[in-house]
Amino acid sequence: MLFARQLLAVFLIALSMQAMAKPDGRVLYQLHCSACHQFEGAGGIGLPLSKKKLDEVSDDYLFKSIRLGRPGRVMPAYREMSDAQVNAIIAYMRERTNSVAKVYDPAPLSGDLAHGAALFEEHCVKCHGDEGTGEGKGTGVTMSRERSFLVMPSSVANSGFLDSVTDRQMHHIISVGREESDMPGYTKKGLSEEDINALVVYVRKLGKEAGGPAAIDPDEPLAHLTESPYDFETTVSNVKAALAGANFRSFPDRFLEQGLIDEFSVNQRQVSIRFCNFAELYGMLKIEPRLGVVLPCRVTILERPGGEVVLVTPNLRVVSRWFNNDELVELWEEMEETFQEIVEEATL
Amino acid sequence: MNWRRIVMTGMLLCAQWLSGPVLADEMLMLRLNMKAELAVEYLQTSIEEHGYSIAHIQLCDGGMKDFGYESDTYRVVFFGKVDEVRRISESHPEFAAYVPLKMIVVAEGDESVVSIVNPRTFNQYYQGDEQMRIQFARWYNDIRSIFVDMSKAAGQKQLASSQM
Repeated sequence: MLFARQLLAVFLIALSMQAMAKPDGRVLYQLHCSACHQFEGAGGIGLPLSKKKLDEVSDDYLFKSIRLGRPGRVMPAYREMSDAQVNAIIAYMRERTNSVAKVYDPAPLSGDLAHGAALFEEHCVKCHGDEGTGEGKGTGVTMSRERSFLVMPSSVANSGFLDSVTDRQMHHIISVGREESDMPGYTKKGLSEEDINALVVYVRKLGKEAGGPAAIDPDEPLAHLTESPYDFETTVSNVKAALAGANFRSFPDRFLEQGLIDEFSVNQRQVSIRFCNFAELYGMLKIEPRLGVVLPCRVTILERPGGEVVLVTPNLRVVSRWFNNDELVELWEEMEETFQEIVEEATL
Repeated sequence: MNWRRIVMTGMLLCAQWLSGPVLADEMLMLRLNMKAELAVEYLQTSIEEHGYSIAHIQLCDGGMKDFGYESDTYRVVFFGKVDEVRRISESHPEFAAYVPLKMIVVAEGDESVVSIVNPRTFNQYYQGDEQMRIQFARWYNDIRSIFVDMSKAAGQKQLASSQM
């Protein structure tokens, strides 16, 4: 009885802490936003969050952008954050930049779709791409690397963007441009109100056509476990031969426990064969700089207590989803097949 | 009794989750107002103070400039506890693909970004497996605590004093 009361007390204390705590926007921003947008909003993996940018958008747009993220474009959806937490982040960004929210009429615009398509082709495709999904690799500006654009042109067809932005905010941005990201203002370039309305209508259409990131089969396993018909040493040798055949360079083997315990106590019947193709690796890091958290590529070979030998590989189809980066998902779909071919060859 | 202690530990972990802000992402990331080389040193210390061993540190920036990177520091820190690795590779061999744990430290000028896969991401693959879920909760809480240490070391006092 006493034990049950103790448990209840722990939960009530925790819940009351949650209920009473006033969210601190600065702390929340540092925790959830600064890694990508930097402390002062200069942008990194994420877009800059400057006064100029924030002055042009509504608080509703920011709220929805935080809630919905940008599916497939790195920015995660913070669906579990409370409304108070999201609002605290927005209030902090406003205070930090001394920016003032614009308010836009939520009513949709109407326009000539065909005219919008022609204007999009003429003015927008070179940066935002044929399908409005953005040109270039990744998103945001740099994370310790060069980019051909200061700010990667946004995916205007992204569902997170289109579900956050009102037609009139989009109209305003097209009209005045985005100075910091080199997007020109098209009113100055001669487009009329009707022209811009047509563009907005066409961008909405692109969003409907774009759909979202490809869904993953819920039955996909976290990792693959493959039994080897060979003994431990032969399996290790087979994996290395298969990797060399697939043009991968193998690193020195590491025992799974290596470095975690003294060298005499390490289980030497559990080994990770680590491998890499450097040109591919750095290409991938350009697409997803956080990739190091799952690298290097490896096949782990375990001799089980019963003597059977198994090969373990991460399921890259699953792993690639953790980054919310469609480019990586596409690339690692191929890599996953390569992994499986290596395992197949080693266990033939 | 031992089972009571176990249940209490589990409930406390849950309570700690409830009392802190919820992280939505599969990745845990932290920006530090600290140079990356220093961040790696503090990270190693904090990891060890949390009872983990550093398995090794991989330097990934050797040839990065040749591939257009500006980074001068990109480190992957591998860490773990041997008893955990042994238990997991025995009971859940498929999870050997994800141990030891890995955290990256990337230089961004005078600042650094630390990132790791959120262990809670694995929960969905172990529905009903209490042992693994408690393991992921422990890792998650330890990582949060390591982040607090790093924030303190970087002088980000307000962040460190909050419930991360």
